Amino acid sequence: MLFGRKKKNPIKIADKEIVDWKYTTCGYCSTGCSIEVGINKQGKAVSSRGVASADVNRGKLCVKGIFEHELFDTAGRGETPLYRDKYIEDFREISWDDAFDTMAEKFKAIQEKYGRDSVAVISTGQILTEEFYTLGKLTRGAIGTNNYDGNTTLCMASAVSGYKRSFGADGPPGCYEDFEHTDCLIAFGSNLPEQHPIIYWRLKEAMEKRKFPLIVVDPRVTMLAQFADMHLPITPGTDVVLLNSLAHVILDEGLEDAEYINAHTNGYEEFKALVADYDPITAAKICGIDEDTIRNVARLYAKAGAAMSIWTMGINQSTHGSDGVVGVNNLNLITGNIGKPGGTSLSITGQCNAMGTREWSSCSGLPGYRYLENPEDRAEIAEFWGIDKEFFPKKRGLFQTDIFPAIETGQIKALWLVASNPMSSLPNTERIRKTLEKLEFFVVQDAYSDVESVHYANMYLPASIWAEKNGCFTNTERRVNRITNVQPPYANSKPDLWIFNQLAKRFNHYQQMNFPETSEEVFEEMKQLSKGKERNLDISGMSYEKIEKNGGLQWPCREGEEQGAQRLYVDGKFPYADGKAKLIPLLFADNNERPDNEFPFWLNTGRVVEHFHTRTRTGKMGNCNKYSPTPYMEMNPDAADDQGIEHMSYVRVVSRRSDAVVMVQLTQRIPYNMVFIPFHFHDCANRLTLGLLDPYSRQPAFKQNAVRIEKIDQKEAAQRNVEARAF
Amino acid sequence: MFEIRNGEREYAFLNDKTNQQQNRYGKDIQLVDENNPLKGKSLNINGDASIGDNPNRYKQHGFHFTADNCIGCHACEAACSEKNDNPAHIAFRSVGYVEGGTYPAFKRLNISMACNHCDNPVCLKGCPTRAYTKFAEYGAVLQDPDICFGCGYCTWVCPYNAPQLDPVKGQVSKCNMCVDRLEVGLKPACVSACLGNALNFGVIENTPENREQVKTEIPGFPTTDITNPNIRFQQTKTLPKEMTRTDSMAVKYHQDNNKGIFKPVVDRKKRLTRQWNLRKLRSREDPLVVFTLVSQAVVGAFLLMFLGAKAGLLPMQQAVNSGAYMPMLFIMLGIEAVALFLSTMHLGKPHRFYRAFNNLRYSPVSREVAGIAVFINSLGGHFLFSMFDVEILKIAAEIFGYAALISGPIALYFMHKIYRIKARPYWDHWQVLTAFYGNMLTMGGLLVGLIFVPVFMSMDMPVIALLNMVATVMLTGLVIEAIGHVFHARDLNRSGREGSVSYYEQITTFGKTYFTRNVLLAVNIIALLLLGLMSSESALALTIWGLIAISVLVSAIVSRALFYVLVVSTTMPGAFFWKNKGFEEHARESGLAEMPQVGVVPDVH
Repeated sequence: MLFGRKKKNPIKIADKEIVDWKYTTCGYCSTGCSIEVGINKQGKAVSSRGVASADVNRGKLCVKGIFEHELFDTAGRGETPLYRDKYIEDFREISWDDAFDTMAEKFKAIQEKYGRDSVAVISTGQILTEEFYTLGKLTRGAIGTNNYDGNTTLCMASAVSGYKRSFGADGPPGCYEDFEHTDCLIAFGSNLPEQHPIIYWRLKEAMEKRKFPLIVVDPRVTMLAQFADMHLPITPGTDVVLLNSLAHVILDEGLEDAEYINAHTNGYEEFKALVADYDPITAAKICGIDEDTIRNVARLYAKAGAAMSIWTMGINQSTHGSDGVVGVNNLNLITGNIGKPGGTSLSITGQCNAMGTREWSSCSGLPGYRYLENPEDRAEIAEFWGIDKEFFPKKRGLFQTDIFPAIETGQIKALWLVASNPMSSLPNTERIRKTLEKLEFFVVQDAYSDVESVHYANMYLPASIWAEKNGCFTNTERRVNRITNVQPPYANSKPDLWIFNQLAKRFNHYQQMNFPETSEEVFEEMKQLSKGKERNLDISGMSYEKIEKNGGLQWPCREGEEQGAQRLYVDGKFPYADGKAKLIPLLFADNNERPDNEFPFWLNTGRVVEHFHTRTRTGKMGNCNKYSPTPYMEMNPDAADDQGIEHMSYVRVVSRRSDAVVMVQLTQRIPYNMVFIPFHFHDCANRLTLGLLDPYSRQPAFKQNAVRIEKIDQKEAAQRNVEARAF
Repeated sequence: MFEIRNGEREYAFLNDKTNQQQNRYGKDIQLVDENNPLKGKSLNINGDASIGDNPNRYKQHGFHFTADNCIGCHACEAACSEKNDNPAHIAFRSVGYVEGGTYPAFKRLNISMACNHCDNPVCLKGCPTRAYTKFAEYGAVLQDPDICFGCGYCTWVCPYNAPQLDPVKGQVSKCNMCVDRLEVGLKPACVSACLGNALNFGVIENTPENREQVKTEIPGFPTTDITNPNIRFQQTKTLPKEMTRTDSMAVKYHQDNNKGIFKPVVDRKKRLTRQWNLRKLRSREDPLVVFTLVSQAVVGAFLLMFLGAKAGLLPMQQAVNSGAYMPMLFIMLGIEAVALFLSTMHLGKPHRFYRAFNNLRYSPVSREVAGIAVFINSLGGHFLFSMFDVEILKIAAEIFGYAALISGPIALYFMHKIYRIKARPYWDHWQVLTAFYGNMLTMGGLLVGLIFVPVFMSMDMPVIALLNMVATVMLTGLVIEAIGHVFHARDLNRSGREGSVSYYEQITTFGKTYFTRNVLLAVNIIALLLLGLMSSESALALTIWGLIAISVLVSAIVSRALFYVLVVSTTMPGAFFWKNKGFEEHARESGLAEMPQVGVVPDVH
């Protein structure tokens, strides 16, 4: 010691006495970070750390992942199945067997009375791929309803739809390693530091090694926008105009990759004719980005050796979401930036296993990117599952966002909700309340019994969470990674796979079908379905052991291959019948609810780094929740000054739907005519949102709504805020 | 030894290629020379006797923070809290921010800050229990919660908010530099977790790889001359000239024209309105309001009686010789004991009170406690031996009396030294001394008057001389205090920085309270002057005396309460919720704090 005690006590540093580290994959976002969970002598999960050797996160984790071991013991976990005849009654505990009997009986009765499709199943992006596959098999093959979809409609549907329209199939064609090869990157409505901090770090590392221009399109000055070489503060909902105009400049100035266009695309002439109308002068007036900037960005992008685009909800959650994705794909097709290192259209996905549900859940069709609309696919799967192919409908049923209106008007009478929380996540909360009230039978299957949707449920099934289970997730770059059961299921909760299998036993088709008990057996079954030379989603070269050893494997990984492929469409061959991608002309019509005299502010919603989705997990962990424990709204100080609104005071925000109480945070990060509210909080932002639906993806436009701001008595507001917070 | 992860990446390993000899403060970076007996010893981490093989083990280390890169993702804070197993309300590292500009030319600067393991660790010097040690290994300043008794003085003196007082556990804990990781060549957990490539760590003054700047100024960071902190920054991107804080502190940072350095100035966040906020006068330091006022009153009263009698002041001779002298001493001992008890119970761990004397060498707290202990024991001795009519014991009583006479004012001097903290400009002013000594006279005179006026009257003795004497003493005390206040207000207002912010709060948040205190002070001075001139012991005069007594007491309590609540320390900027005093208060008032995951302890009193 230099100063202090001569006689020192031993230095005490917290020692969690970890005896074992167990490998798993993070269960929050789709980055797909490999995690090791530290287990102490008592077998309790006490620590989390990144897996240093894993390629995705290279040992790093974000604030949520660092505390993920606390997840197992979070408040509100469901302990046992619950049942009540009507939602206005009190729940009583029931056995699992009784729960399954009742559930099957009710579903059958309702289907008998109102038709097969009067029962709807809404799943998630949170459970394991093997569980998705099994739920699909159960829903499509045994229950037999066509009204089956995932909550991924709220986040990734536009990306799926856009990929399908441009390339002929879903699947992000790029990977994180593209950052290390690109010469220019545009981020459209993607705030990596907040939404995907680990992907941001990979980007930052790449930029520190080799600087390339970073261009960010975002109406808010996010940290990424602030760090960008160029920030394009776009008018909400007008991305398609900007994208068309970028293409206009590229074609007008002859900067396109004509060879690539000729060899690998269709529809060039129609596309060229349409973008001719979107000259930068016209576009600037609509999208709010000046003509010089549009030209500059177009030239930069087209002239770069390799250029890539990433996007997240800024594009997807819009009335032109699918078109926006197609627009990004158009940009990359005309510049020859698909399937090459550093040249790609990479959608940055939302939930940990949004990809898993896209690939295997049968929500939008049949497993392994097969379509109900395709007779061969129906026949193949029917035979594989051992059922009559005529049992399948010939086209897909309602999307998640159309299922709720069908409940509202009585076409759907029963709902089974798996790991989703529409009471907080869907637009127009008050309408959702009214909708859920109408169900004759409503089952919520979730890890948490305090998830708000349980309020209207007749039955609650406690599911095990994340690494209490065993299986796989697929991440943004198509990497399949392993979730191992680090902890036994909490209380009397059960893995979703077990729940699906038990329910399947109650349906007639069970006798002729096969529902494997373990996830590894399910995985082997999926491998069988993934084989095929023309099939990009090929996982037949993977095994649980091999995945874990490699820290995840990307598909396609064909039988006999050691590694998966980093990129799709490397050879310029696309899944359309003629092997060519489509250039699709995108006509823009502004159908958004824009600010007006009565509702003068844009309402923009989005995420914060410390929370995940509807806070059912992060809202209960102090070391995440404390950074935003209560709802707030970013507002421009000049606008606030004009209305006499003070920093840190509560206001009431009113839209054409309803109102919400939030605490005001004044910041010049957003423009005068816009406010921003994180969507995570129950009974808050989504009380205000309109959520117009995209015509292709049926994804709601969460980010373009009009509101006005009213003053409110501060004591009353505080009370209302406290009362709305169960966690 | 800390276990290194399989396949650990390069970013996690310390990487100091060459080192400089001296740091910018002129101190050797090598902390001990070759033959120093401190070398080659185990850090004894959790009882592990092994010795790390880090080649730079005896060099001062520090954090390097590239402010341009921080994305405010909380990974550093999370990694720290996860490793140190901290509950939500405690954080060794915190990220706050400042921001400026107009949309879209807007910039936010996130600042991640932990302990700076200073060359001049004021926490170590201030700590009365000697819970702190600055180690020869890495220059780490470590604190031992097992020694700490939770007085929180280190949290007052630290300009960076590094020591964390846990009101639940009643003790302080802080950043330990992850010395367990350093021993095996790894950077601290926070650095290793950084996702913006902002945070780095190494031998101090070294420029990390791919960085070009090693400076000590960024907006929001206090001046380095208080503690010579071991942190360096890179901040090369141009910032708006004015950077504001999002937390409730009325501070913003303005860039001066010459050097381009950002200085703290007042941010008039709320409209300038004068308020009472009487409820906000209550704070965790309430027991100190009582303790300081009572101690000053008791010292003052004893000084007046003992010295007055010796100096031949008739009323004091009468008082000392009256039968009421012993009960008076008993009362004084009694209230001082109660005050001392309250201030002890306000410690996080009162049963460790005896550790207060551990750091007489450096800590003004230790010296104050020692001074008060000598005074109270001397007073006790004086009281005890005054009970006997034996010559030798009378001499002992005299000696103890003189000891109390000397130790009392010395104790009050050290009491004032406690508050002369550079990181708290509102306190770091000679006004503290005038306030304490002024109060000693005012409250001492008041105490003597309150006891002996009724005593004299009951004994049918004239009280006029006593009243005049008390008036003179109290008047002197009030005038001394008032002079201090005048200069204090003037100097604060001129000072810029956090002192001006305190002044701003003084005239806004507590504007009406402060104004009333000043009026009371003036009224008391004038009234005492008039009473002295009137020289009357009429019923009316005595009634006025009674009113003044109340007024003086109220003014003194309000004044002292303001002293504790108005202090604005040179802390780091907070975020909108986290480390925002305004939100913490709101969470407590509204009931949000009842949910532990909000990260605010519901009740700190």
